Amino acid sequence: MKKKYLSLTTKKWFQILFWAVIVIAAWEIGATVVAMTKRTPENILPHLYQVLAAAISTKAVSGGMTATQVVFTSASATLLRALGGFAIGASLGFLLALLMKLSGVVEKLIFPYLMLIQLIPVLGLAPIILAITGDINRSRLVIAAILSFYPVAANTLAGFKSVAKEKYDLMYTYAAKKRQLYTKVLIPSAVPYLFTGLKIAAPMAITASILVDTLQGDGGLGCMLSQSLKHAMNIYVFWLIVFFSAFIGIFSTQLISLIEILVSPQKRSASWIGRIAGKEKIYGRDAEKNRTQKEPGAETL
Amino acid sequence: MQRKIGRRKSLAQRLSENKKVQAAATIILPLLLGILIFALWQGQILQAMFHTDTFTLPVPTKIAALMHDNIGKVLVNTRDTVVVALIGLIAGSLLGYGAAILASMFPNLGKGGLSIVGAFASIPVVALAPVMNNWTRSVSSTASTRSTVAKILVVMLIAAADMGLNAYRGLTELKPFAKDLMATYAAPKRMVFLKLQLPNSVPYIFTALKVSVPASIMTAIVSEYFAEYITGVGRQIRENIVLAQYATAWVYITAACIIGLVAYVILMLVQSLVMRRYH
Repeated sequence: MKKKYLSLTTKKWFQILFWAVIVIAAWEIGATVVAMTKRTPENILPHLYQVLAAAISTKAVSGGMTATQVVFTSASATLLRALGGFAIGASLGFLLALLMKLSGVVEKLIFPYLMLIQLIPVLGLAPIILAITGDINRSRLVIAAILSFYPVAANTLAGFKSVAKEKYDLMYTYAAKKRQLYTKVLIPSAVPYLFTGLKIAAPMAITASILVDTLQGDGGLGCMLSQSLKHAMNIYVFWLIVFFSAFIGIFSTQLISLIEILVSPQKRSASWIGRIAGKEKIYGRDAEKNRTQKEPGAETL
Repeated sequence: MQRKIGRRKSLAQRLSENKKVQAAATIILPLLLGILIFALWQGQILQAMFHTDTFTLPVPTKIAALMHDNIGKVLVNTRDTVVVALIGLIAGSLLGYGAAILASMFPNLGKGGLSIVGAFASIPVVALAPVMNNWTRSVSSTASTRSTVAKILVVMLIAAADMGLNAYRGLTELKPFAKDLMATYAAPKRMVFLKLQLPNSVPYIFTALKVSVPASIMTAIVSEYFAEYITGVGRQIRENIVLAQYATAWVYITAACIIGLVAYVILMLVQSLVMRRYH
Protein backbone atom coordinates (compact mmCIF):
# COMPACT_ATOMS: atom_id res chain seq x y z
CA MET A 1 0.00 0.00 0.00
CA LYS A 2 2.77 2.37 0.96
CA LYS A 3 4.58 1.58 -2.24
CA LYS A 4 1.53 2.56 -4.22
CA TYR A 5 1.45 5.97 -2.55
CA LEU A 6 5.15 6.47 -3.14
CA SER A 7 4.87 5.70 -6.82
CA LEU A 8 2.14 8.31 -6.95
CA THR A 9 4.67 11.03 -6.11
CA THR A 10 6.62 10.36 -9.29
CA LYS A 11 3.58 11.13 -11.44
CA LYS A 12 3.67 14.56 -13.02
CA TRP A 13 -0.01 15.37 -12.48
CA PHE A 14 0.26 14.46 -8.82
CA GLN A 15 3.23 16.79 -8.32
CA ILE A 16 1.36 19.65 -9.94
CA LEU A 17 -1.76 18.94 -7.90
CA PHE A 18 0.27 18.62 -4.68
CA TRP A 19 1.98 21.98 -5.09
CA ALA A 20 -1.13 23.72 -6.36
CA VAL A 21 -2.99 22.58 -3.23
CA ILE A 22 -0.14 23.80 -1.01
CA VAL A 23 0.06 27.20 -2.71
CA ILE A 24 -3.72 27.70 -2.58
CA ALA A 25 -3.84 26.58 1.05
CA ALA A 26 -1.03 28.96 2.00
CA TRP A 27 -2.75 31.82 0.21
CA GLU A 28 -6.10 31.12 1.89
CA ILE A 29 -4.56 30.81 5.36
CA GLY A 30 -2.79 34.11 4.77
CA ALA A 31 -6.00 35.69 3.51
CA THR A 32 -7.94 34.49 6.56
CA VAL A 33 -5.34 35.90 8.93
CA VAL A 34 -5.25 39.20 7.03
CA ALA A 35 -9.06 39.40 6.98
CA MET A 36 -9.13 39.12 10.76
CA THR A 37 -6.35 41.56 11.54
CA LYS A 38 -6.44 44.27 8.85
CA ARG A 39 -8.96 46.98 8.17
CA THR A 40 -8.86 46.72 4.36
CA PRO A 41 -7.95 43.08 3.65
CA GLU A 42 -8.77 43.35 -0.05
CA ASN A 43 -5.76 45.65 -0.52
CA ILE A 44 -3.35 43.20 1.03
CA LEU A 45 -4.52 39.65 0.42
CA PRO A 46 -8.07 38.97 -0.71
CA HIS A 47 -9.58 35.50 -0.66
CA LEU A 48 -9.21 33.72 -3.96
CA TYR A 49 -12.99 33.36 -4.28
CA GLN A 50 -13.31 37.12 -3.97
CA VAL A 51 -10.93 37.60 -6.89
CA LEU A 52 -12.83 34.97 -8.84
CA ALA A 53 -16.12 36.67 -8.03
CA ALA A 54 -14.70 39.95 -9.29
CA ALA A 55 -13.64 38.23 -12.49
CA ILE A 56 -17.12 36.89 -13.26
CA SER A 57 -19.16 39.77 -11.89
CA THR A 58 -21.12 41.78 -14.46
CA LYS A 59 -20.82 45.06 -12.59
CA ALA A 60 -19.16 47.81 -14.63
CA VAL A 61 -15.97 49.17 -13.04
CA SER A 62 -14.71 51.61 -15.65
CA GLY A 63 -16.23 53.12 -18.76
CA GLY A 64 -19.14 50.67 -18.79
CA MET A 65 -16.85 47.64 -18.90
CA THR A 66 -16.71 44.82 -16.36
CA ALA A 67 -13.45 44.02 -14.59
CA THR A 68 -12.68 41.12 -16.91
CA GLN A 69 -13.35 43.23 -19.98
CA VAL A 70 -11.04 45.94 -18.66
CA VAL A 71 -8.28 43.40 -18.13
CA PHE A 72 -8.70 41.80 -21.53
CA THR A 73 -8.89 44.99 -23.58
CA SER A 74 -5.84 46.45 -21.87
CA ALA A 75 -4.04 43.12 -22.08
CA SER A 76 -4.56 42.86 -25.82
CA ALA A 77 -3.10 46.36 -26.24
CA THR A 78 -0.06 45.55 -24.07
CA LEU A 79 0.56 42.10 -25.47
CA LEU A 80 0.36 43.18 -29.10
CA ARG A 81 3.00 45.82 -28.46
CA ALA A 82 5.14 43.33 -26.54
CA LEU A 83 4.82 40.88 -29.42
CA GLY A 84 5.92 43.55 -31.91
CA GLY A 85 9.02 44.44 -29.90
CA PHE A 86 9.75 40.78 -29.26
CA ALA A 87 9.55 39.93 -32.97
CA ILE A 88 11.81 42.83 -33.95
CA GLY A 89 14.33 42.14 -31.19
CA ALA A 90 14.41 38.41 -31.80
CA SER A 91 14.88 38.67 -35.55
CA LEU A 92 17.57 41.34 -35.16
CA GLY A 93 19.27 39.15 -32.57
CA PHE A 94 19.21 36.16 -34.89
CA LEU A 95 20.51 38.20 -37.82
CA LEU A 96 23.30 39.67 -35.73
CA ALA A 97 24.34 36.22 -34.52
CA LEU A 98 24.41 35.06 -38.14
CA LEU A 99 26.46 38.08 -39.13
CA MET A 100 28.87 37.47 -36.26
CA LYS A 101 29.27 33.87 -37.36
CA LEU A 102 29.85 34.92 -40.98
CA SER A 103 32.48 37.51 -40.20
CA GLY A 104 35.10 37.32 -37.49
CA VAL A 105 35.64 41.08 -37.68
CA VAL A 106 31.99 41.79 -36.89
CA GLU A 107 32.12 39.33 -34.00
CA LYS A 108 35.17 40.96 -32.48
CA LEU A 109 33.70 44.40 -33.05
CA ILE A 110 30.35 43.76 -31.41
CA PHE A 111 30.71 40.94 -28.90
CA PRO A 112 31.91 43.08 -25.94
CA TYR A 113 29.02 45.46 -26.51
CA LEU A 114 26.60 42.55 -26.63
CA MET A 115 27.83 41.61 -23.16
CA LEU A 116 27.48 45.20 -22.00
CA ILE A 117 23.79 45.33 -22.99
CA GLN A 118 23.02 42.58 -20.52
CA LEU A 119 24.80 44.39 -17.68
CA ILE A 120 22.98 47.65 -18.28
CA PRO A 121 19.63 47.75 -16.50
CA VAL A 122 17.63 48.41 -19.67
CA LEU A 123 14.29 48.70 -17.89
CA GLY A 124 15.79 51.58 -15.93
CA LEU A 125 16.29 53.34 -19.24
CA ALA A 126 12.59 53.14 -20.09
CA PRO A 127 11.78 56.76 -19.12
CA ILE A 128 14.69 58.23 -21.08
CA ILE A 129 13.89 56.17 -24.17
CA LEU A 130 10.38 57.55 -23.91
CA ALA A 131 11.87 61.05 -23.78
CA ILE A 132 14.11 60.40 -26.79
CA THR A 133 11.54 58.76 -29.04
CA GLY A 134 8.78 61.03 -27.80
CA ASP A 135 6.19 58.39 -28.64
CA ILE A 136 5.00 55.80 -26.13
CA ASN A 137 4.36 53.10 -28.70
CA ARG A 138 7.71 53.49 -30.37
CA SER A 139 9.56 53.47 -27.04
CA ARG A 140 7.69 50.33 -26.04
CA LEU A 141 8.85 48.60 -29.21
CA VAL A 142 12.42 49.79 -28.68
CA ILE A 143 12.64 48.60 -25.08
CA ALA A 144 11.01 45.24 -25.72
CA ALA A 145 13.31 44.81 -28.71
CA ILE A 146 16.49 45.65 -26.76
CA LEU A 147 15.51 43.27 -23.97
CA SER A 148 14.71 40.34 -26.24
CA PHE A 149 17.67 41.08 -28.49
CA TYR A 150 20.41 40.02 -26.11
CA PRO A 151 19.28 36.52 -25.07
CA VAL A 152 18.42 35.56 -28.64
CA ALA A 153 21.69 36.83 -30.09
CA ALA A 154 23.89 35.26 -27.39
CA ASN A 155 22.14 31.89 -27.49
CA THR A 156 22.01 31.65 -31.27
CA LEU A 157 25.70 32.47 -31.50
CA ALA A 158 26.41 29.73 -28.96
CA GLY A 159 24.35 27.40 -31.16
CA PHE A 160 26.43 28.23 -34.23
CA LYS A 161 29.58 27.64 -32.26
CA SER A 162 28.38 24.30 -30.88
CA VAL A 163 28.62 22.63 -34.31
CA ALA A 164 31.30 19.94 -34.12
CA LYS A 165 34.33 20.05 -36.38
CA GLU A 166 33.44 16.70 -37.98
CA LYS A 167 30.34 18.24 -39.47
CA TYR A 168 32.38 20.95 -41.15
CA ASP A 169 34.72 18.27 -42.44
CA LEU A 170 31.82 16.23 -43.78
CA MET A 171 30.40 19.23 -45.59
CA TYR A 172 33.87 19.92 -46.98
CA THR A 173 34.11 16.43 -48.41
CA TYR A 174 30.67 16.94 -49.97
CA ALA A 175 32.10 20.09 -51.58
CA ALA A 176 29.17 22.00 -50.06
CA LYS A 177 28.88 25.67 -50.81
CA LYS A 178 28.97 28.15 -47.97
CA ARG A 179 25.26 28.84 -48.34
CA GLN A 180 24.50 25.13 -48.11
CA LEU A 181 26.71 24.81 -45.05
CA TYR A 182 24.57 27.44 -43.36
CA THR A 183 21.14 26.22 -44.49
CA LYS A 184 21.82 22.51 -43.97
CA VAL A 185 24.07 22.40 -40.92
CA LEU A 186 24.58 25.60 -39.00
CA ILE A 187 21.08 27.05 -38.86
CA PRO A 188 19.33 23.74 -38.05
CA SER A 189 21.75 23.06 -35.21
CA ALA A 190 21.29 26.58 -33.84
CA VAL A 191 17.50 26.25 -33.71
CA PRO A 192 17.29 24.61 -30.23
CA TYR A 193 19.58 27.32 -28.89
CA LEU A 194 17.49 29.99 -30.59
CA PHE A 195 14.43 28.69 -28.76
CA THR A 196 16.27 28.73 -25.44
CA GLY A 197 16.95 32.39 -26.09
CA LEU A 198 13.34 33.05 -27.09
CA LYS A 199 12.09 31.39 -23.89
CA ILE A 200 14.16 33.82 -21.82
CA ALA A 201 13.22 36.80 -23.96
CA ALA A 202 9.43 36.36 -24.03
CA PRO A 203 8.66 37.11 -20.35
CA MET A 204 11.15 39.99 -20.46
CA ALA A 205 9.38 41.59 -23.41
CA ILE A 206 6.06 41.33 -21.58
CA THR A 207 7.51 42.82 -18.39
CA ALA A 208 9.00 45.66 -20.42
CA SER A 209 5.71 46.37 -22.13
CA ILE A 210 3.77 46.45 -18.86
CA LEU A 211 6.39 48.71 -17.29
CA VAL A 212 6.26 51.18 -20.15
CA ASP A 213 2.45 51.24 -19.75
CA THR A 214 2.87 52.67 -16.25
CA LEU A 215 4.88 55.62 -17.57
CA GLN A 216 2.07 57.19 -19.52
CA GLY A 217 -1.67 56.78 -19.30
CA ASP A 218 -2.93 55.46 -22.60
CA GLY A 219 -4.44 52.13 -21.61
CA GLY A 220 -2.62 48.86 -21.29
CA LEU A 221 -2.15 46.53 -18.35
CA GLY A 222 0.45 48.64 -16.55
CA CYS A 223 -1.69 51.75 -16.77
CA MET A 224 -4.75 49.97 -15.33
CA LEU A 225 -2.51 48.46 -12.65
CA SER A 226 -1.36 51.82 -11.35
CA GLN A 227 -4.85 53.32 -11.66
CA SER A 228 -6.49 50.58 -9.62
CA LEU A 229 -3.67 50.81 -7.06
CA LYS A 230 -4.52 54.48 -6.63
CA HIS A 231 -8.15 53.38 -6.11
CA ALA A 232 -9.27 55.09 -9.29
CA MET A 233 -11.18 51.87 -9.89
CA ASN A 234 -12.05 48.67 -8.10
CA ILE A 235 -9.06 47.18 -6.27
CA TYR A 236 -9.94 43.72 -7.55
CA VAL A 237 -8.92 44.90 -11.02
CA PHE A 238 -5.43 45.14 -9.54
CA TRP A 239 -5.54 41.56 -8.35
CA LEU A 240 -6.93 40.35 -11.64
CA ILE A 241 -4.09 42.07 -13.47
CA VAL A 242 -1.52 40.59 -11.09
CA PHE A 243 -2.89 37.10 -11.67
CA PHE A 244 -3.25 37.65 -15.37
CA SER A 245 0.28 38.97 -15.87
CA ALA A 246 1.66 36.12 -13.76
CA PHE A 247 -0.24 33.68 -15.93
CA ILE A 248 0.84 35.34 -19.16
CA GLY A 249 4.50 35.44 -18.04
CA ILE A 250 4.46 31.69 -17.41
CA PHE A 251 2.31 30.96 -20.44
CA SER A 252 4.61 32.81 -22.85
CA THR A 253 7.47 30.42 -22.06
CA GLN A 254 5.17 27.42 -22.43
CA LEU A 255 3.85 28.74 -25.74
CA ILE A 256 7.37 29.00 -27.13
CA SER A 257 8.14 25.44 -26.02
CA LEU A 258 5.03 24.37 -27.90
CA ILE A 259 6.12 26.21 -31.05
CA GLU A 260 9.54 24.63 -30.69
CA ILE A 261 7.97 21.17 -30.59
CA LEU A 262 5.89 21.97 -33.65
CA VAL A 263 8.80 23.20 -35.77
CA SER A 264 11.51 20.73 -34.80
CA PRO A 265 10.89 17.14 -35.92
CA GLN A 266 13.26 15.52 -33.44
CA LYS A 267 11.37 17.07 -30.53
CA ARG A 268 7.96 16.40 -32.02
CA SER A 269 8.55 12.68 -31.94
CA ALA A 270 9.41 12.78 -28.26
CA SER A 271 6.43 14.80 -27.14
CA TRP A 272 2.78 14.14 -26.50
CA ILE A 273 1.78 16.12 -29.57
CA GLY A 274 3.77 13.75 -31.74
CA ARG A 275 2.19 10.81 -29.99
CA ILE A 276 -1.27 12.13 -30.74
CA ALA A 277 -0.29 12.48 -34.36
CA GLY A 278 0.75 8.84 -34.33
CA LYS A 279 4.37 9.55 -35.12
CA GLU A 280 5.66 7.47 -32.26
CA LYS A 281 5.60 4.21 -34.19
CA ILE A 282 7.95 5.55 -36.80
CA TYR A 283 10.29 7.40 -34.50
CA GLY A 284 9.64 5.20 -31.48
CA ARG A 285 13.21 4.19 -31.00
CA ASP A 286 14.62 7.65 -31.54
CA ALA A 287 12.08 9.14 -29.18
CA GLU A 288 13.70 7.44 -26.21
CA LYS A 289 17.06 8.77 -27.28
CA ASN A 290 15.74 12.28 -27.70
CA ARG A 291 14.20 12.30 -24.30
CA THR A 292 17.58 11.84 -22.69
CA GLN A 293 19.22 14.31 -25.05
CA LYS A 294 20.48 17.31 -23.22
CA GLU A 295 18.63 20.55 -23.57
CA PRO A 296 20.94 23.46 -24.37
CA GLY A 297 21.37 25.49 -21.21
CA ALA A 298 20.73 29.20 -21.13
CA GLU A 299 23.71 31.04 -22.50
CA THR A 300 25.12 33.70 -20.26
CA LEU A 301 28.13 35.74 -21.22
CA MET B 1 45.78 25.07 -44.59
CA GLN B 2 44.13 23.52 -47.62
CA ARG B 3 45.87 25.74 -50.15
CA LYS B 4 48.27 24.54 -52.86
CA ILE B 5 51.88 24.33 -51.80
CA GLY B 6 53.94 27.18 -53.06
CA ARG B 7 51.28 29.78 -53.60
CA ARG B 8 51.82 32.92 -51.58
CA LYS B 9 49.20 33.72 -48.99
CA SER B 10 47.20 36.86 -49.54
CA LEU B 11 47.53 39.64 -47.00
CA ALA B 12 44.03 39.04 -45.61
CA GLN B 13 44.78 35.34 -45.14
CA ARG B 14 48.06 36.08 -43.42
CA LEU B 15 46.37 38.50 -41.06
CA SER B 16 43.63 36.06 -40.17
CA GLU B 17 46.14 33.30 -39.42
CA ASN B 18 48.42 35.43 -37.29
CA LYS B 19 47.58 34.83 -33.63
CA LYS B 20 49.08 38.10 -32.43
CA VAL B 21 47.09 40.14 -34.93
CA GLN B 22 43.90 38.33 -33.93
CA ALA B 23 44.51 38.91 -30.23
CA ALA B 24 45.18 42.58 -30.85
CA ALA B 25 42.07 42.86 -33.02
CA THR B 26 39.92 41.50 -30.16
CA ILE B 27 40.86 44.57 -28.15
CA ILE B 28 41.39 47.20 -30.83
CA LEU B 29 38.22 46.69 -32.87
CA PRO B 30 35.71 47.16 -30.02
CA LEU B 31 37.81 50.05 -28.74
CA LEU B 32 37.58 51.74 -32.13
CA LEU B 33 33.82 51.24 -32.19
CA GLY B 34 33.62 52.74 -28.70
CA ILE B 35 35.66 55.76 -29.74
CA LEU B 36 33.48 56.17 -32.82
CA ILE B 37 30.27 56.13 -30.75
CA PHE B 38 31.80 58.54 -28.25
CA ALA B 39 32.85 60.91 -31.04
CA LEU B 40 29.41 60.77 -32.66
CA TRP B 41 27.80 61.45 -29.30
CA GLN B 42 30.13 64.26 -28.32
CA GLY B 43 29.94 65.74 -31.83
CA GLN B 44 26.14 65.79 -31.55
CA ILE B 45 25.74 63.58 -34.61
CA LEU B 46 24.09 60.85 -32.54
CA GLN B 47 21.47 63.36 -31.44
CA ALA B 48 20.75 64.22 -35.06
CA MET B 49 20.44 60.53 -35.90
CA PHE B 50 17.81 59.99 -33.19
CA HIS B 51 16.04 63.27 -34.09
CA THR B 52 16.59 64.67 -30.64
CA ASP B 53 18.67 67.44 -29.05
CA THR B 54 21.38 67.91 -26.44
CA PHE B 55 18.66 68.68 -23.92
CA THR B 56 17.31 65.09 -23.92
CA LEU B 57 20.60 63.45 -24.87
CA PRO B 58 23.41 65.57 -23.38
CA VAL B 59 27.00 65.10 -24.51
CA PRO B 60 29.16 62.77 -22.37
CA THR B 61 31.39 65.53 -21.01
CA LYS B 62 28.36 67.38 -19.67
CA ILE B 63 27.06 64.23 -17.98
CA ALA B 64 30.49 63.68 -16.41
CA ALA B 65 30.64 67.29 -15.18
CA LEU B 66 27.15 67.06 -13.70
CA MET B 67 28.03 63.79 -12.01
CA HIS B 68 31.07 65.43 -10.47
CA ASP B 69 28.94 68.30 -9.15
CA ASN B 70 26.26 66.05 -7.63
CA ILE B 71 28.52 63.24 -6.51
CA GLY B 72 27.21 63.24 -2.91
CA LYS B 73 23.60 62.76 -3.91
CA VAL B 74 24.47 60.21 -6.55
CA LEU B 75 26.42 58.16 -4.03
CA VAL B 76 23.54 58.13 -1.52
CA ASN B 77 21.10 56.87 -4.17
CA THR B 78 23.62 54.36 -5.48
CA ARG B 79 24.10 53.05 -1.96
CA ASP B 80 20.35 52.60 -1.51
CA THR B 81 20.03 50.64 -4.74
CA VAL B 82 23.12 48.52 -4.09
CA VAL B 83 21.99 47.68 -0.54
CA VAL B 84 18.62 46.45 -1.82
CA ALA B 85 20.13 44.46 -4.69
CA LEU B 86 22.89 42.96 -2.55
CA ILE B 87 20.79 41.93 0.46
CA GLY B 88 18.09 40.59 -1.82
CA LEU B 89 20.64 38.69 -3.88
CA ILE B 90 22.38 37.12 -0.87
CA ALA B 91 19.18 36.25 1.00
CA GLY B 92 17.51 34.98 -2.16
CA SER B 93 20.50 32.89 -3.20
CA LEU B 94 20.75 31.30 0.26
CA LEU B 95 17.03 30.61 0.22
CA GLY B 96 17.25 29.15 -3.27
CA TYR B 97 20.18 26.96 -2.32
CA GLY B 98 18.35 25.76 0.78
CA ALA B 99 15.32 24.93 -1.34
CA ALA B 100 17.58 23.05 -3.76
CA ILE B 101 19.03 20.99 -0.88
CA LEU B 102 15.54 20.15 0.32
CA ALA B 103 14.48 19.27 -3.21
CA SER B 104 17.52 17.04 -3.70
CA MET B 105 16.61 15.16 -0.50
CA PHE B 106 13.05 14.56 -1.71
CA PRO B 107 13.56 14.56 -5.47
CA ASN B 108 10.09 13.36 -6.42
CA LEU B 109 8.11 16.23 -4.98
CA GLY B 110 11.03 18.63 -4.79
CA LYS B 111 11.45 18.88 -8.53
CA GLY B 112 7.84 19.96 -8.93
CA GLY B 113 8.29 22.47 -6.13
CA LEU B 114 11.30 23.99 -7.84
CA SER B 115 9.41 24.40 -11.07
CA ILE B 116 6.75 26.25 -9.06
CA VAL B 117 9.47 28.58 -7.81
CA GLY B 118 10.64 29.00 -11.40
CA ALA B 119 7.11 29.89 -12.41
CA PHE B 120 7.00 32.56 -9.70
CA ALA B 121 10.15 34.08 -11.14
CA SER B 122 8.51 34.61 -14.52
CA ILE B 123 5.83 36.76 -12.90
CA PRO B 124 6.58 40.28 -14.13
CA VAL B 125 8.36 42.42 -11.53
CA VAL B 126 5.84 45.12 -12.31
CA ALA B 127 3.10 42.96 -10.79
CA LEU B 128 5.19 41.70 -7.87
CA ALA B 129 6.44 45.06 -6.63
CA PRO B 130 3.06 46.61 -5.75
CA VAL B 131 1.93 43.38 -4.05
CA MET B 132 5.04 43.37 -1.88
CA ASN B 133 4.44 47.04 -1.07
CA ASN B 134 1.00 46.15 0.23
CA TRP B 135 2.25 43.17 2.22
CA THR B 136 5.00 45.08 3.97
CA ARG B 137 2.82 48.02 4.97
CA SER B 138 2.83 47.00 8.63
CA VAL B 139 6.51 46.02 8.88
CA SER B 140 7.64 49.40 10.09
CA SER B 141 6.17 52.81 10.74
CA THR B 142 8.85 54.62 8.72
CA ALA B 143 8.32 54.68 4.96
CA SER B 144 11.99 54.24 4.10
CA THR B 145 12.35 51.00 6.08
CA ARG B 146 9.21 49.37 4.78
CA SER B 147 9.91 50.22 1.15
CA THR B 148 13.43 48.85 1.52
CA VAL B 149 11.97 45.61 2.90
CA ALA B 150 9.47 45.42 0.04
CA LYS B 151 12.17 45.97 -2.57
CA ILE B 152 14.45 43.38 -0.97
CA LEU B 153 11.63 40.82 -0.98
CA VAL B 154 11.06 41.25 -4.72
CA VAL B 155 14.77 40.90 -5.51
CA MET B 156 14.94 37.91 -3.18
CA LEU B 157 12.24 36.01 -5.04
CA ILE B 158 13.95 36.52 -8.41
CA ALA B 159 17.39 35.54 -7.07
CA ALA B 160 15.97 32.52 -5.22
CA ALA B 161 14.37 31.11 -8.34
CA ASP B 162 17.58 31.36 -10.38
CA MET B 163 19.67 29.83 -7.62
CA GLY B 164 17.18 27.09 -6.77
CA LEU B 165 16.90 25.74 -10.30
CA ASN B 166 20.64 25.81 -10.99
CA ALA B 167 21.78 24.55 -7.58
CA TYR B 168 19.37 21.61 -7.85
CA ARG B 169 21.12 20.57 -11.04
CA GLY B 170 24.50 21.02 -9.34
CA LEU B 171 23.45 18.87 -6.38
CA THR B 172 21.94 16.06 -8.44
CA GLU B 173 23.88 15.87 -11.72
CA LEU B 174 26.89 14.12 -10.22
CA LYS B 175 29.68 12.30 -11.99
CA PRO B 176 28.74 8.67 -12.76
CA PHE B 177 29.46 6.26 -9.91
CA ALA B 178 30.41 9.09 -7.55
CA LYS B 179 27.42 8.25 -5.38
CA ASP B 180 28.24 4.55 -5.52
CA LEU B 181 31.78 5.30 -4.40
CA MET B 182 30.40 7.24 -1.45
CA ALA B 183 28.17 4.26 -0.65
CA THR B 184 31.14 1.88 -0.63
CA TYR B 185 32.89 4.24 1.77
CA ALA B 186 29.76 3.96 3.95
CA ALA B 187 29.75 7.75 4.05
CA PRO B 188 26.94 9.32 6.07
CA LYS B 189 24.54 11.62 4.25
CA ARG B 190 26.19 14.70 5.72
CA MET B 191 29.57 13.65 4.32
CA VAL B 192 28.11 12.89 0.89
CA PHE B 193 26.73 16.41 0.87
CA LEU B 194 29.91 18.11 2.11
CA LYS B 195 32.45 16.16 0.06
CA LEU B 196 30.52 15.41 -3.11
CA GLN B 197 27.39 17.45 -3.69
CA LEU B 198 28.58 20.81 -2.39
CA PRO B 199 31.81 20.96 -4.45
CA ASN B 200 29.92 19.65 -7.47
CA SER B 201 27.40 22.47 -7.25
CA VAL B 202 29.95 25.31 -7.15
CA PRO B 203 30.12 25.89 -10.94
CA TYR B 204 26.32 25.79 -11.07
CA ILE B 205 26.16 28.45 -8.36
CA PHE B 206 28.17 30.75 -10.56
CA THR B 207 26.00 29.99 -13.56
CA ALA B 208 23.04 31.09 -11.47
CA LEU B 209 24.82 34.20 -10.22
CA LYS B 210 25.76 35.27 -13.74
CA VAL B 211 22.04 35.53 -14.45
CA SER B 212 20.84 36.72 -11.07
CA VAL B 213 23.40 39.49 -10.45
CA PRO B 214 22.29 41.65 -13.42
CA ALA B 215 18.69 40.54 -12.85
CA SER B 216 18.69 41.59 -9.21
CA ILE B 217 20.08 45.02 -10.06
CA MET B 218 17.40 45.46 -12.70
CA THR B 219 14.72 44.23 -10.30
CA ALA B 220 15.91 46.59 -7.58
CA ILE B 221 15.71 49.50 -10.03
CA VAL B 222 12.25 48.59 -11.30
CA SER B 223 10.80 47.98 -7.85
CA GLU B 224 12.03 51.45 -6.84
CA TYR B 225 9.51 52.84 -9.33
CA PHE B 226 6.67 51.47 -7.25
CA ALA B 227 8.16 52.00 -3.81
CA GLU B 228 6.61 54.41 -1.37
CA TYR B 229 9.84 56.11 -0.37
CA ILE B 230 11.63 58.07 -3.11
CA THR B 231 15.21 56.90 -3.26
CA GLY B 232 17.54 54.85 -5.40
CA VAL B 233 19.07 55.20 -8.82
CA GLY B 234 16.05 53.93 -10.75
CA ARG B 235 13.61 56.20 -8.97
CA GLN B 236 15.89 59.19 -9.54
CA ILE B 237 15.97 58.47 -13.28
CA ARG B 238 12.19 58.57 -13.34
CA GLU B 239 11.77 61.56 -11.02
CA ASN B 240 14.25 63.65 -12.97
CA ILE B 241 12.57 62.85 -16.25
CA VAL B 242 9.19 63.84 -14.84
CA LEU B 243 10.82 67.16 -13.89
CA ALA B 244 12.37 67.35 -17.40
CA GLN B 245 15.87 67.31 -15.86
CA TYR B 246 17.20 65.03 -18.57
CA ALA B 247 20.86 65.73 -17.90
CA THR B 248 20.49 64.70 -14.24
CA ALA B 249 18.58 61.61 -15.33
CA TRP B 250 21.53 60.68 -17.53
CA VAL B 251 23.84 61.00 -14.53
CA TYR B 252 21.77 58.35 -12.76
CA ILE B 253 21.61 56.18 -15.88
CA THR B 254 25.40 56.28 -15.93
CA ALA B 255 25.42 55.33 -12.26
CA ALA B 256 23.11 52.39 -12.97
CA CYS B 257 25.38 51.16 -15.76
CA ILE B 258 28.43 51.50 -13.50
CA ILE B 259 26.70 49.45 -10.78
CA GLY B 260 25.96 46.72 -13.33
CA LEU B 261 29.53 46.67 -14.64
CA VAL B 262 31.24 46.75 -11.24
CA ALA B 263 28.98 43.99 -9.91
CA TYR B 264 29.84 41.81 -12.88
CA VAL B 265 33.58 42.43 -12.57
CA ILE B 266 33.44 41.55 -8.86
CA LEU B 267 31.51 38.37 -9.67
CA MET B 268 34.11 37.36 -12.25
CA LEU B 269 36.96 37.97 -9.77
CA VAL B 270 35.24 35.91 -7.06
CA GLN B 271 34.53 33.17 -9.56
CA SER B 272 38.14 32.90 -10.69
CA LEU B 273 39.32 32.84 -7.05
CA VAL B 274 36.83 30.19 -5.91
CA MET B 275 37.06 28.02 -9.00
CA ARG B 276 40.83 27.90 -8.78
CA ARG B 277 40.50 26.51 -5.30
CA TYR B 278 37.94 23.87 -6.14
CA HIS B 279 38.82 22.81 -9.65
